[in-house]
Amino acid sequence: MTRPTQHPSAGVARPATDAVRVLAVGGESGPGPLQGLRQWAADLAIELEWAADLPRATRLLAGGRWDLVLAVLGERSDEELAWWVDALRGAPGGPRLIALADRPSMGMALRAEKLGVLDVLALPLKREALANAVARVRSATTEVALPLPAVDGDVDAQGHYALVGQSPAMLEVYKLMARVAHSTATVLILGESGTGKEVVARTVHKHGPAAGPFVAVNCAAIPENLLESELFGHEKGAFTGAVARKIGRFEQAGGGTLFLDEIADMSLSLQAKILRAVQEREIERVGGGDSIPVTVRLIAATNRDLQEAIAQGRFREDLYYRLAVVTIQLPRLIDRGDDLIQLVAHFARQFGERYGKRIDAVSDRALELLRNHQWVGNVRELRNVIERAAIVASDGTLRSEHLTDELRAEEPGVPERSTAALPTLAEAEARHIARVLQHTGGQIGAAADILGIHRNTLTRKMKEYGL
Amino acid sequence: MRVEQALRLLPNLEALMPLRGLLLSSARPDARVQWGSGGPYLTVGKRDVEPGELARSMGSVLTVVAEHVAALFAAYVEALERQERNDAPGAVTALVSAGRLEEKVGRLSQAQAWYEVALALAETLQDRRPEVETLLAIGHVCLALGNYAEGARHYQRALVLSEAEFNQSGAVDASVGLGTAAFERAEWPGARAWYSRALRLTEAGTDRLRLGVIEHRLGLLDRRQGDLAAAGDHLRRARECFEALNGEATLEMARVLDAQGELDAAMGRPGPAAGAFREALAWVRRDKHDPELDVTIRLHLAELLLETGRWLEADEEMRRAEQLAITSNQTRGLVRIYTLLGTLRGRQGDETGFVFFEQAIALCRVLEGPLLEDARVYHAYGLFRQVCGGPDEARAYLERARGIFRSLGMDAEVERLEAALRNSHDVNTSAAGAG
Repeated sequence: MTRPTQHPSAGVARPATDAVRVLAVGGESGPGPLQGLRQWAADLAIELEWAADLPRATRLLAGGRWDLVLAVLGERSDEELAWWVDALRGAPGGPRLIALADRPSMGMALRAEKLGVLDVLALPLKREALANAVARVRSATTEVALPLPAVDGDVDAQGHYALVGQSPAMLEVYKLMARVAHSTATVLILGESGTGKEVVARTVHKHGPAAGPFVAVNCAAIPENLLESELFGHEKGAFTGAVARKIGRFEQAGGGTLFLDEIADMSLSLQAKILRAVQEREIERVGGGDSIPVTVRLIAATNRDLQEAIAQGRFREDLYYRLAVVTIQLPRLIDRGDDLIQLVAHFARQFGERYGKRIDAVSDRALELLRNHQWVGNVRELRNVIERAAIVASDGTLRSEHLTDELRAEEPGVPERSTAALPTLAEAEARHIARVLQHTGGQIGAAADILGIHRNTLTRKMKEYGL
Repeated sequence: MRVEQALRLLPNLEALMPLRGLLLSSARPDARVQWGSGGPYLTVGKRDVEPGELARSMGSVLTVVAEHVAALFAAYVEALERQERNDAPGAVTALVSAGRLEEKVGRLSQAQAWYEVALALAETLQDRRPEVETLLAIGHVCLALGNYAEGARHYQRALVLSEAEFNQSGAVDASVGLGTAAFERAEWPGARAWYSRALRLTEAGTDRLRLGVIEHRLGLLDRRQGDLAAAGDHLRRARECFEALNGEATLEMARVLDAQGELDAAMGRPGPAAGAFREALAWVRRDKHDPELDVTIRLHLAELLLETGRWLEADEEMRRAEQLAITSNQTRGLVRIYTLLGTLRGRQGDETGFVFFEQAIALCRVLEGPLLEDARVYHAYGLFRQVCGGPDEARAYLERARGIFRSLGMDAEVERLEAALRNSHDVNTSAAGAG
């Protein structure tokens, strides 16, 4: 198990008593709705500046480090919230946003929370509410740097790709990979989005007997009407846009491995052609009459449940059994325990090199945020988060301020917006509805099915909660 | 259901264009796809659309369509009534107002049709002011459609009439239009002459808005000609003009800051450039939000990030622009966004980036917009193919772009394409030699 230890020279970002720099954006008519802010400044140890409008605020934000921005939202609060989150992204000092609105709805508070807004406060602004927010900002600035572990030298690197981690779940994957690599058996790799299916495919190819190239095709990325010609090639003039003869990926992968990623996204007619190619070991270019022999090892992958797809008639059962000669199931990142810190160290080093920085530590708070996150995008999401952090990091330590707003929104110890310790039934219901809507991508019908209520009831509740 | 599948079931009829717009704007990405390996290549065609949601949103869209059509009908009826009352200038104004309504919703060819009817009527009048107004409107829409030669002809006529009528604002607007028609065709001396003429006419008056616009255009011209210091001076003066209008010219201010950002980028100052773009976005947001301009500025910011090797941030900025373009039904903006996303993938050596160009081409076909847009997509696609395999395809796309630029009389672009094609030929020859 790898646990970071406290760095002897761990830096404290700054003393907790330092002034918090606050930029208040009060609208054209001056401080109006923020009356009282100036008189509280000394008492709350905040250094306050005003910006009358957005352009001036943007100039001030670009010109110095800020800890907190207080922005009064107007009628189009959702749009404005999104605008502010966007405007503050990458601003020096990673300032947090407090949105102020006349009567913030529960939906607005939830949306703000999702965007990583520190808080939504009602106008007129109360001293106590501001004091709480400032205290949270101040506590967040005290972070202790923890050195990142050295990543094992035997990481199975494949250019940008690498298999990192020693968790029991991954050790099982490695064992299976070792068993299958030396054969030419077709492999089906299953796992959620971002778990590293292509990395596994590349590694199996690298250690396999095939001397030819590794060719990857992303079936989900390529428009349906082009996928066939991408896979099998086409003759010149076969269709509009076929300006020259094209050699398809099956032929390109001759003597090597063809990796078909997201194979469940393929149409049934194309699945039939893949099946023929696998069975007959020959293909036909689009617009061409000749059969061309191909010798490739096929590795397929998907994040979908193929058994369910077969039951629904969206995936051919015969193709499934052709592909699933050996099946490798990849674990989710949250099931990989301390692999997370190994991966953070690996990506920090990789992106540190890319952006000319030496990153060798992560702050305790940042690590806590990383550990608490749900990682729906698994390793790919982590990679993105660390790349972004590496870009904005100013020294060798990744801190919470370098993480995305979504992660920072999950800071432990964030008090509930209600003054009560526990949420009301309405708050809990609104939160749950918002979560389900997020899960269904905003599709009301699907959300109503999950919630077990009628679509009209859901629509009414969404209206009621301002969702 | 995927948008690309849904679009296949929708015939390409003008009456269904609002439904097509609704289909695109209500598309949402599947969360699983977003983080999947296909996530980086997600385009609007790969988003999901729910028939039930379309049905629910149809009412509000139909209301907007009905309001638009009702306003057009009303404008037409007003034109008839004016004509009956022997108020032909009023009839022209009513017809032009219908054209402006069409322009406002991005229906440029339809706008041009209204203006042409108005012009035919205006030409019969003794009073030339309605004709000038109409000619300026047609000139503007022609430039937006990329028909620069035609636009210049209308502006030229507007200028002659304005000068004959001592209509100074008309003469200024016509000169600016002529300058822009020349600018877009890279006829730099012509553009300078027209802008300078407009400047001389404006300096005598107190019209700070027009003065700012001309200074802005001169700034753009100087930047294109490589005189960056002079460009900076013009843009500063433009900013001063707009600032003096106390918030009356927010979008003009945004445009000038956008130009300042591009200038800073050209001067190798990415920090100030990004600052200028951010401030431009703040001006766009300040009161009347213009999604098209917002998308344009974000794309310029993304280009800056792309040029400075900040690919992740460039990608994020383009994705924000994409989201905005989809939700605000700026489908033309999507063409530019996907072209730039494809260019980014090309820089990363990622062959699968071709999907963005294919999506851009598919959108061009659906929109039947200005040919210039098609040419720019083919040009960028050709350059992408030069880097990411497919020299024959590269040549084919570059030749197609060259053909369109040539048909539009854009000689400078044709020259750039010739250079790219020569480069393509050299690469092919050396590859053949090596083989």
